[in-house]
Amino acid sequence: MGGRAKVPSGVVMIRDEDIIVVDEPDLSAAERLYLPQILGGMRTTFRHMFKKKITVQYPEQKRTLRVENYRGVHRLNRDEKGRVACVSCFMCETACPAHCIHIVSGESPWEDREKYPIQFDIDELRCIYCGMCEEACPVDAIELTPEYHLVGLTREEMIFDKEKLLQVFDRTCEEKPRKNPRITGYAGTGDRPALPPSGGGH
Amino acid sequence: MPKITVDNKEIECRDGIPVIQAALEAGWDVPHYCYHPGLSIVASCRLCLMEMQMPHPKTGEMGWAPKLFPSCQTPVKDGMIVRFDSEKVQANQASCMEYFLIDHPLDCPVCDQAGECHLQDYSYKFGHAESRMVESKIVNPKKDIGPRTLLYQDRCVTCSRCVRFADEVSGTGELCLVNRGSRTEIDVFPGVPLDNALQGNVVDICPVGCLLDKDFLFKQRVWFLKRADSICAGCSTGCAIRVDQNEEVVHRLKPRYNPGVNDWWMCDEGRFGFKYVHDKKRIVKPMLRRGKEHETPVWDALSDIVEYRFEQHVAKHGAASVGVVLSPMMSCEEAWLLAKFIRKIAPESTVATGFVPVEGDDQSFPVGCKPDEAKFTIRKEKCPNRLGVEMISRQAGGEICDFDTFVKKAGEGAFSAMWIVGGYPNPWVPKPLATAAAKAELLVVQDIFENALTAEAELVLPACAWVERDGCFVNHAGVIQPFERAVVPQEGGRRDGQYLFEMAGYTGLFTADRVREMMAEDLSQFAEIAELVPVPVHQH
Repeated sequence: MGGRAKVPSGVVMIRDEDIIVVDEPDLSAAERLYLPQILGGMRTTFRHMFKKKITVQYPEQKRTLRVENYRGVHRLNRDEKGRVACVSCFMCETACPAHCIHIVSGESPWEDREKYPIQFDIDELRCIYCGMCEEACPVDAIELTPEYHLVGLTREEMIFDKEKLLQVFDRTCEEKPRKNPRITGYAGTGDRPALPPSGGGH
Repeated sequence: MPKITVDNKEIECRDGIPVIQAALEAGWDVPHYCYHPGLSIVASCRLCLMEMQMPHPKTGEMGWAPKLFPSCQTPVKDGMIVRFDSEKVQANQASCMEYFLIDHPLDCPVCDQAGECHLQDYSYKFGHAESRMVESKIVNPKKDIGPRTLLYQDRCVTCSRCVRFADEVSGTGELCLVNRGSRTEIDVFPGVPLDNALQGNVVDICPVGCLLDKDFLFKQRVWFLKRADSICAGCSTGCAIRVDQNEEVVHRLKPRYNPGVNDWWMCDEGRFGFKYVHDKKRIVKPMLRRGKEHETPVWDALSDIVEYRFEQHVAKHGAASVGVVLSPMMSCEEAWLLAKFIRKIAPESTVATGFVPVEGDDQSFPVGCKPDEAKFTIRKEKCPNRLGVEMISRQAGGEICDFDTFVKKAGEGAFSAMWIVGGYPNPWVPKPLATAAAKAELLVVQDIFENALTAEAELVLPACAWVERDGCFVNHAGVIQPFERAVVPQEGGRRDGQYLFEMAGYTGLFTADRVREMMAEDLSQFAEIAELVPVPVHQH
C-alpha cells in the first residue's frame, strides 16, 4: 500500500481483496426457450384466481383496524373540562424525528395550569407516523388515531393546527377513548431501590 | 502554589481559594448550590461537604476527621488531603438531594430551567430516583417580585445566592429570606420590587428554576438553543456574553465569565437590548438612488458601482473632498476594511471617528461605591468600540478628526463625498450633519434604520446588528475582545464585513480571523489576539 495517495478523511476506499468477480452461468437449451418459466408464472396467476380475495375495495369498503395501536392522524386530547390537555412541554417536538411539530407556548389562562399551547401545528405531510410524540408526552395529550383517510388539496391544508387536532379528538374519542393519564406521582412503586446507608456526620 | 490531594490525586491550585474552587478547576464535579465564586460564602446548602485529614489532637497523627467539612468554606492549604469519593460524602450528597426535593413540585415539563437545572443534573448524578416523602407537599404559588422577574417559591432550594447578589453586587438589597426552617422563603420587602439595573443576574445565578425571566418565559426549551460567544455591544464595558438563538431568532443573552471585565455579570440594558435585531423596520437591502426612484443593485455588482462612483468623484473634485465616518458600532475588522478601501481610492481623504452616544454617567455597583471599588460598571458610552475605531482611523493616516470636528468641517462644505456609518439602535443623526450631508454630491450611508441621512443618500447600505457579524471590539480599557456570529443577517441582507471585504478588493468569504491576520501587519496589537477564541469557564 506504500504507493497509495493519501485518502482524505471520511472517504472509504474499497480494497482489492474485498472485490469478488462473479461470472454469469451459461443458460441451458430449455432455459433459452423461456417457455417453461412463462408457463410457471401463469400457473401461479390462475391458482390465485380461484382463491379467496384479499383486496379491499377502498373507499367503499374499509379495513377493520386495531384501534389501540394504529398510527393514523394525530389528535390533541381534551381534559375533563374540555380544555386542551397539552401543557406545552415541547417533549413531542423534541422527540419528533421528522421535525413536523411546531408549538408556541404561553402562560395559561387557567389557575391550575402553568403553560398551554397558543399554537400547535403538525405538518401531516412531513410526519412519518412513528408515534414518538405519543410516547414522549408526559400527560398523554397527543395521540395517534385510527383515522387514516388523510386528504387535502393544498400543503397548507395538511398543516393541522390546534383547532383541527382537537376536532380529530372530538371525532375519534368515542372510537378510542382517552387513556386516563396516571398523575406523575411521588408515591413509590413498591419496588423502591435501597437507599444508601445513612452515614455522614451531620 | 499549594498542592492538595483530592481523591488520591495531587493537584496544584491557586493560593487562598476554597477547596471546592480548586476541585472544580481541576475537573471534579463537586455538587454545590450556595457557593458562587463571585459572592460571599455561607456554606448553607451542605452539598459540597468533603472528608478531610486532620492531625489527631493528642498524638498529632494525620487521620480522617470524624465529621464532614464544607469544601466551599475551607481554604486550601499546602499538603491538604481531602476526598469526595468516599461513601460518607456520597451518602450526604444523596440525603441532601432528597431533602431539596421534599417540596419540589417536579414540574420539569413546564419549567423553563429544565435542561440547564442543577436540581435535575444533581438528582441524576448524586441523588436517587424515588422520594420517601408521603406527606402532601407545600404548594406555594409563584410571586411577581419585579417587572422582569418571577419567583416560583416551591422550586427554591434556599441557596440565598440571589439575596447575596442583591446585597453584595448590585448593592440594592431588595431580596431577603423570610421565615425560618422549612418555611423559609425568598421574598422582596413590601412595596420594594426587585428592580435594579443588574437584576437579570439573579436569574442566571439561580441554580434551579425558582427565579425566571419574564422576557424569556415559555419562549423556548433550552435544549433547542444554539449558543455563540459574543461581546455585548450595549456600552463600552464590553461584557462577554452568550447569544442563545434558535432558527435564527435570538431569544436571550447570558453573561460569560470574563475576569476583570464583567466577571460573571451583565446589566439589564445589555441583556434586553437585543430586541432591535428582529425589528421589521430594519434596512435589509442596498438601495441606489436613480433620480427620485430607488433601485436595489445585486450584491455582486455593488463593489464595482461604489468604486466607480468614488473614482469619478476623486477625479473631478480631488481626494481631499472625501470624508468617511467610522461608527464605533463597527467591529475593528469592518472599520479597517472600509478605511483601507477609501484610502486606496482617495489617499488624502479624512477618516473620522463616528458619533459616540453618551447617556448620563457611569453607573458603578454596588450602588454608592467608589468607581475604583466597583464590582460592575455600566458605562455612559453606549457603543462598544470607540477605542478600536480611533485606532483604525489613526492608522489610516490623514487628518485625525473626531465626530464634532467632522460635522463642523462638513457644515463648511469640506466634503463633497461622504461615507457615513451608523448602526445605532436608537435615532442618532444630529441636525448639522443631516444638513451638511444633504449638500454632498456623493453620499453613502450604512445604517440599520432609516433616518434623515438615508433619505438623502445616493446609496444606502444595510448595516447588520452585532449578533449577525463577527469581529472584535476594543473596550473602554483597551482590551481587544473577539466575538462570534450568532445568527445570519435578515433575508436579503449581507454582513457588513462581507461587502466591505469585497470593496476592499478581496475575494471569497469574509472571516474575522482572516482580516485580523492582514490587519496585524499594520496594527501589531491585533496579532496577539488573532488566535484567541473565547474559552468557556466552568460556571453555574
